[in-house]
Amino acid sequence: MSGVGFGRPLAHDSVLHRRNPTVKLAVLLVVSTVLLAVVDPWTPLALWVLALVAVARAGRIPWRLLLRAQLLFGPFAVSILAVNCVTRDGPVVGALGPFEVTGPGLAIGLSLMLRTLLVGTLSVAFVLTTDGARLMTSLHQHVRLGARPTYAVLAGYRMLEQLPERWTTIRLAQAAREPARARRQGSAPAWLRAARTGRGLPDDAARQDDAAPREWRARRGGGTRLPVSPRALARAAFTLLVVTLRQGERMAVAMETRGLGAGPRTVHAPVTLDRRDAAFAAVTVGVCVAVIVAAARLGVLASWGSTFG
Amino acid sequence: MIEVRGLSVRFPRAEGPVLRGVDLDVADGERVLLLGPSGSGKSTLLRVLAGIVPQTVDADVWGSVRVAGAPVVVDPARPGGTDPGQAPGVTDVPTLARRVATLTQNPADQLCLPTVRDEVAFALENRAVPAEQIGPRVHAALTSVGAGHLADRRTSELSGGEGQRVALAAALVADPEVLLLDEPTALLDPVGARDVADAVRSAGARTSVLIEHRLDELGELPARLVVLDAHGGVRADGATAVVVLDEARALAAEGVWLPLAAELRAAGVTSLDALAPDAGPGAPGAALPRTTAAPLLRAHGLGVRRGTRTVLDGVSLDVHAGRVTAVLGLNGSGKSTLLHALAGLLPGGPDAGTVTGARVGMVFQQPEHQLLTRTVRDEVAYGPRRARLPDVDGRVERALREHVLDGLADHDPFRLSGGQQRRLSLAAMAVCDHEVLVADEPTFGQDRRTTRATARALTALAREGRGVVLVTHDLRLAGLVADDVLVLHAGRVLAHGPAEAVLADDDVLARAGLRLPPLLAAWRTTGLPLRPLLEALDARTAGSPAAQPERVA
Amino acid sequence: MSAPAAPTGSGATGPAPTGPTTAGPATAGPTTAQRRRGLTLQELVLVAALGVVFGFLYWALVQAWAWLQLAMGPLGDLAQHVLIGGWMVVAPLALYIVRKPGVGIVAELLAATIEVVFIGSPVGPMLLLVGFVQGAGAELAFTATRYRRYGWGVFVASGVTAALASLALGTVRFGWLTQDWFAYRVGLELVSGIVLSGILAKVLGDALLRTGVLDNHAIGRAARAARRGDGGDPGAAPAPAPQQAGA
Repeated sequence: MSGVGFGRPLAHDSVLHRRNPTVKLAVLLVVSTVLLAVVDPWTPLALWVLALVAVARAGRIPWRLLLRAQLLFGPFAVSILAVNCVTRDGPVVGALGPFEVTGPGLAIGLSLMLRTLLVGTLSVAFVLTTDGARLMTSLHQHVRLGARPTYAVLAGYRMLEQLPERWTTIRLAQAAREPARARRQGSAPAWLRAARTGRGLPDDAARQDDAAPREWRARRGGGTRLPVSPRALARAAFTLLVVTLRQGERMAVAMETRGLGAGPRTVHAPVTLDRRDAAFAAVTVGVCVAVIVAAARLGVLASWGSTFG
Repeated sequence: MIEVRGLSVRFPRAEGPVLRGVDLDVADGERVLLLGPSGSGKSTLLRVLAGIVPQTVDADVWGSVRVAGAPVVVDPARPGGTDPGQAPGVTDVPTLARRVATLTQNPADQLCLPTVRDEVAFALENRAVPAEQIGPRVHAALTSVGAGHLADRRTSELSGGEGQRVALAAALVADPEVLLLDEPTALLDPVGARDVADAVRSAGARTSVLIEHRLDELGELPARLVVLDAHGGVRADGATAVVVLDEARALAAEGVWLPLAAELRAAGVTSLDALAPDAGPGAPGAALPRTTAAPLLRAHGLGVRRGTRTVLDGVSLDVHAGRVTAVLGLNGSGKSTLLHALAGLLPGGPDAGTVTGARVGMVFQQPEHQLLTRTVRDEVAYGPRRARLPDVDGRVERALREHVLDGLADHDPFRLSGGQQRRLSLAAMAVCDHEVLVADEPTFGQDRRTTRATARALTALAREGRGVVLVTHDLRLAGLVADDVLVLHAGRVLAHGPAEAVLADDDVLARAGLRLPPLLAAWRTTGLPLRPLLEALDARTAGSPAAQPERVA
Repeated sequence: MSAPAAPTGSGATGPAPTGPTTAGPATAGPTTAQRRRGLTLQELVLVAALGVVFGFLYWALVQAWAWLQLAMGPLGDLAQHVLIGGWMVVAPLALYIVRKPGVGIVAELLAATIEVVFIGSPVGPMLLLVGFVQGAGAELAFTATRYRRYGWGVFVASGVTAALASLALGTVRFGWLTQDWFAYRVGLELVSGIVLSGILAKVLGDALLRTGVLDNHAIGRAARAARRGDGGDPGAAPAPAPQQAGA
């Protein structure tokens, strides 16, 4: 999602880059939990707009990247809107194909859609400004996540970094297992006839392939087509799983033979946690609360109880 | 420093023990080379010394083992030994790791953290070394293995040789008393292997036990040699220079690679010249004459770019029926990419060049990536069944026999050893009807016996009238099977011609970064034809073909 | 250097093995003690690897899925229930392999952590909560057998409990209970839970067992114990090794 590689932040520095990753994670969890109770469209809309501006400035995230990210979870958000529009009781305000759209359905749908966009935006900003490995170190340091789970996840990260290339290799390697062609009735394979006649590719072998324009059949240009049958994909996925599990077994041995689990340990490059992180948490949660209070004052705030109560 | 008494090990699914009654004493500062045929339990012995067997890997273990003063396996018959569940005296792996460090083959299995600095610091963190001391010690460890410049790199971006040096630094950083080395250069190209071997040698006067196959390429060997036999017992133990010659015949027959002098001893000659009668003209295996007929496959002007890097540049190659072409070059010279291009597995493009002609079957470098089915038999039968070839069963049986896979037909392919998997993927491809076969490092990790079997299989494919292209680091293999050699350097063709001519061209080899192993260097002085010479040597050193079958991993 | 007589055959009068060769794999050392406590490093890394592979495959699938979901309009949101089982399968698979209390929850938490921290998820850290609830749901069925039975029935039950837990959480997050199509959601999620989570976990576990990668885990030991011939139902896990019973 970051465009740099799994678990890698954008290469530049920013206020968000410098904040403690555990604090960022906690703030994000708090905000998304609080919003579970909100079902009016206005509160998440205000927060979404604020969030876009805030992460663009504080994280120095290019707008282009933020917009592209919205496209990633946009379809999910829109389908939530659509389903809520047509499945909730209330006065009918329109139609969507064969379905009737109700007023409460539209309101709740918009709210859930905007919440999805808001949380999605914050999550993308989190990933784009956070080094995953530093986050694990911070969790180990600051919330006492055990050494073994911490390093199991980091080993998992090393495996993850290799997965895209490994997947491609496996797909190619398995595609290469397909035999040259289904043998035609009564004709020996071309190489056999080549051996018998003591020549290169015999003429009739070229003729046998109807598509061959002349003696040679050009294969270069389109690249190879990988089989996309569910069976071929499942085989590749299974091989990926086996190979990765075996690698994991060896990595666990490697970590043990370098002393992981031998008792108390130190951290060579600790992640900082200071007052600026407290200020960051206070400001972020404060803005969120302020928007909710303002929405309540303006009479637009709604929760599940007040909608159907 | 190491004290092994009556050590026997049996893995749960195995029929018999992999180690039997091994006794071994290694003094402080002593360096030991461990040799033995495939399946003789060399790696298992190292893993017992590190505590991994049986603590992490299940096994029945007899006897007693102490390493650096720490009890690793405790004999229950001795005082203090009780039920294994209690085993009060046994040191667990992480605690033992304070004194014992391990280096294995594959950097991908050993580098577990995202950056080089994290990786090397890890062992110190686990010993609770104060944070301010860690930085300097990491720097010192990296510098000592010639990897100081890699400190700021990410582990995922390292080459094999670089990764292996970082893994060595990560093992040495905590100043272990004992160093266990399980084929640390097996997956590297000749240059990377020499770098790592040098780094290992200069790692200080630590006690070490080394398993190594490339005895002839890596310079000075450890002073002491321990030889395991095929049944997992110690057969010989003594000064390397003496034992390797005394045991030469038996080791060669069991498929162990040997230094040149020992190999000559095994062949019963004092110099290669003495093999002249066996290797005269008309000796078996002379290449088929180069045909004037059109090639089976014609690659022209192949070019591949990855980002800003040129991987292949203007490479052309004709593959002829009945001939074997070996592609040589260092890692990163574009060898594997060339095979992918020949097999039609790369996307086209304006500068990609053209490949025309026969359909190509490819054997990949990592054999497990090509596995498709749940038994060895089905694996070999897959292609013939898809192609509706007649007599699938017969083809499969023959292929299993030719590739030394008898008795494994009903095993799951993933359970095979790496060498067996490699032969399986070659067998599975050979039974299909591709006119051209390309193979990427088909003899990696093979011992002499199975390398010979693979070489025979490749030659046989060419005899059938197919074209064969293989990529290899093993110049001896190239000399044994190749009619033509193509040398790549930085994506360009440095030389392409008859094998003997290219392998005798010092200028080309130097520019490609290749170095002839002592055997080939000695051949150059004899004036004998290369392939018959190598075949004569193999014939004289081979044991009976009915040698001990390999165990299943 | 003469080697003493090797132990030939089981029950030989040679040196005594350091472990009982008849019951359970003989292992020396504190790993056995570790097995009593929480998860070993081997087990944690295995579970993380499962999370990585399934997270990666799921991520690749969802890339294509999102636009399909959009094209389906209102039905797109229902369609998510079809795939949900594939996301939850890590929990029963990890339980099948490791066979310890809490592994289902740990597996889902690690998978969610990898998703949130390294792959990036639009759901954010809420996914950790989702993982916890789904893992707990999937684990419930195994807890009920005290982690002793691994037959098809338990996996189907695990699919059901996982689906119900997931539905409960979804209802809190998205107010499904007050929508018209709640029954469809329940139906789809149950089917997906049973097939893609429960049954798939058993199928995958058995296939992986054959490959040998699980030989040093509880599932491999149980298979060996079953093979040694207590003649028990191979689907049912034999009781944990005696030294584990005190856990």
